[in-house]
Amino acid sequence: MIEFRKDFYADVRTEDRSRTTISYKAGVLEEMKTREERRAFLRVYDGRMWYYASVTDLAHLQKTLDGLYAAATPNGEILNDPVVRRFECNRDSRMQFTNASVRNVPAEEKQALLRSYLPLLTEDACVTMPEGSYVDRSSVFHFQSSLGADITYDYQTCGLSFYCSMTEGEKKFSGHWQKGAIRFDELKGLTEEIRSAVAEQTAFMRNSVPVEPGKYPVVLSPEAAGVFAHESFGHKSESDFMLSDETMRDEWQLGKNVGSPILSIAEWGELPGCGYVPYDDEGTKARKNYLIQNGVLAGRLHSAQTAAALDEALTGNARAIDCSFEPIVRMTNTYIEGGDLDFDQLIAPIRKGYFIKTIRHGSGMSTFTIAPSLAYEIVDGKLGRPVQISVLTGSVFETLGLIDGLTRDVQMLSFVTGGCGKMEQMGLPVGFGGPYVRVSSMNVQ
Amino acid sequence: MEKEFLTKTSRSVTLNVTGGKIDSFREQEETTGTVRVYENGCIGVAGCLGTPDEAALEKKAVKALALGIPYPCRLDGALEREEAHDEEIIPVSRFIPTMQRFLDRLGEMCPRFAFSNKISLNDERAEYRNSQGRHLVSSGRSIDISLLAQNRGSGNLFDTGLSYEGNCFDEDGLLAQFKKEYDAFYTPADIEPGRYPVVMTAYGLFGTFLQHFVAEMYVSGASLLSGKLGQKVFSDNLSLRNDMNPATNPGARFFDEEGCVAPGLRPALIEKGTLTGLLTTKKSAEQFGLPNLGTAAAAYDGVPSRGFNQFYVDPTAQTLRELAPGRAVYVVMASGGDATPDGHFATPVQMAYLMEDGELVGRLPDLNVSGSFYDMLGKDYLGAVRGGLKPGYLQCAVTMDVTK
Repeated sequence: MIEFRKDFYADVRTEDRSRTTISYKAGVLEEMKTREERRAFLRVYDGRMWYYASVTDLAHLQKTLDGLYAAATPNGEILNDPVVRRFECNRDSRMQFTNASVRNVPAEEKQALLRSYLPLLTEDACVTMPEGSYVDRSSVFHFQSSLGADITYDYQTCGLSFYCSMTEGEKKFSGHWQKGAIRFDELKGLTEEIRSAVAEQTAFMRNSVPVEPGKYPVVLSPEAAGVFAHESFGHKSESDFMLSDETMRDEWQLGKNVGSPILSIAEWGELPGCGYVPYDDEGTKARKNYLIQNGVLAGRLHSAQTAAALDEALTGNARAIDCSFEPIVRMTNTYIEGGDLDFDQLIAPIRKGYFIKTIRHGSGMSTFTIAPSLAYEIVDGKLGRPVQISVLTGSVFETLGLIDGLTRDVQMLSFVTGGCGKMEQMGLPVGFGGPYVRVSSMNVQ
Repeated sequence: MEKEFLTKTSRSVTLNVTGGKIDSFREQEETTGTVRVYENGCIGVAGCLGTPDEAALEKKAVKALALGIPYPCRLDGALEREEAHDEEIIPVSRFIPTMQRFLDRLGEMCPRFAFSNKISLNDERAEYRNSQGRHLVSSGRSIDISLLAQNRGSGNLFDTGLSYEGNCFDEDGLLAQFKKEYDAFYTPADIEPGRYPVVMTAYGLFGTFLQHFVAEMYVSGASLLSGKLGQKVFSDNLSLRNDMNPATNPGARFFDEEGCVAPGLRPALIEKGTLTGLLTTKKSAEQFGLPNLGTAAAAYDGVPSRGFNQFYVDPTAQTLRELAPGRAVYVVMASGGDATPDGHFATPVQMAYLMEDGELVGRLPDLNVSGSFYDMLGKDYLGAVRGGLKPGYLQCAVTMDVTK
């Protein structure tokens, strides 16, 4: 039982995490382990400074907390502090994986599932170094604050990831495929999906041609569109970057036109998948937030500190990668909302352009980048040859204004490797997605 | 049965900076223990958070042998060596006032910039022992200043930054070097599209291609380097190494996760244009008959895997002017680039200065730079300089296509 002191704000966050990793390379077992960790992160705030500690010894939380209190200065007005007044005081228990926990699936069963798919990687002789991994994570979070918040919830992801080095003569390609899920059973019965993905990638290696650099219409898949939304605009919506420079508040006034009128980008931690965050790491309940609605800047993402500084409402986006770090403003699930076209209608008007099906990575500053993996020509409204593109780039705001077509259905993607990096905190699980998105012009290299 | 024992402890205190003011203080401490056992060509691993009970971990590691994870290797023989680079940089009790004074001076010097992000003091210790009598101990302290600078009113997440990692804190030196960048930032410059020397960090230029040095990819034939080990395929000027030397890579250990100590502490991937090394573990080296570079990494509870610390490129010039005389592009920030399977590399450049005869003359607009792998490391490679605008900072120059 934690004893909080008056005249300070404090909270204690713990995570009990189990993570299984099984990997094979060229058919040989490389790794098989289940890591069990318990960590805690403690915060004390006196209205002037935050004092943090990260510990793995959960038996002495009170002692650690008392040490932080000793460094801080008592403040009789702490409850009137604008940051403290923002904090929610939720009390809830949301345990949805108790009966379907990956902790209850024997490691041998996980290994057998992975092994059952490995032969699919080598059905084509051009695959020279197949790698396959099974990864899962089960976490139970507990959050308590001096204001009386007391929240427990669980989180789970599991998935498969395959990587293949392919070579034939002078032609080379690094193929990959990944499936993230939240229940182990969702990973069964994927044989045809994996076989088809490998076949598409071997065909890409054999038949792809270099792109002719230039500006072209581009159609982004839900994966590419999701990365674009996350990198190009999601990071700009993280309002901690507005704290240091007061002029940013004028630059980023809500209601400003920032994109095409058909574009809406939303953010919501309640969606299932790897970006599921029903309560953030300050105990704030998730809610759906529009970043852009019909082309207009509609909102931004907050921690209590940034919400107080900008005098806006909490959004549920204070997150840390684990209990080693303090929560900062991060995304959860970010996606572009759907439009009114189907895929054929979307590509029909394009005389010469490109379809970006899968990507390796993306980034976003004033200029965004997307590094495609599988890409195809669009010629006279039809998909054509596979093409090698090193990077798509463009000005974020110019490109947001050039979105001129969206398909109806939205696909959300979930992952078990990688993640979002921000400053010192790398690999945060986030979800993203969208419909197929047409951009009238992008710089293709 | 062969055995290895590792214990690692890291402690850090980290300050968060918002608008040039320190607003938080974080303490982190973590100890991990690892035991690996080897028998009949297999490995068993056990690890823990917290001070390790080695006997208990050894039992778990022996049990893990039953998983049958192949790991053919030979442990390195007896060697006693300890290196300590742990002179106090700033007392923790003085850390906040010292850094706030530095930030105040920085803010006065650069009034149009708003600074944020982290400053940390780090203290690391690692001990490796094995059943062959090897015993290695490394300890070191470093200070890491990683400040983002927003040009007030730009609307950008950040526009440039001040970064430094070292084992001493030279406040005046850091301020003086950053002043040069600050002055150039507000002088607009431009450059016609064409081919120019591009000055960047080695990681910025070559990081995308690191995967091609991985032993498994090399052997599979999918690497751009496949079949080239031992061949001279790059510029005579180019020697590319993994930097495990604390003198140039503060905080680095002199041994890898498998207790390997590379001669000179900078094992070479490329030596005077010849491909001499690949990223290996003891296992992949043994399996593929390759030399072991000694750069393995490992999670505290994991089987060793290939690792890499930091690029070191042998300097070929004393000054930036000597490295890239005339007109050149000095890149501060270039993120999001990548290469096609056949090695064509392209990256947007978010922040660059025009450099004339080694001096920054003004800030360039957003650019793109591109080149091909073999040319960038071959005929277009110009060399490297240590120092330049920033003390101890290593930068390379390559002639590349520059477009807007």
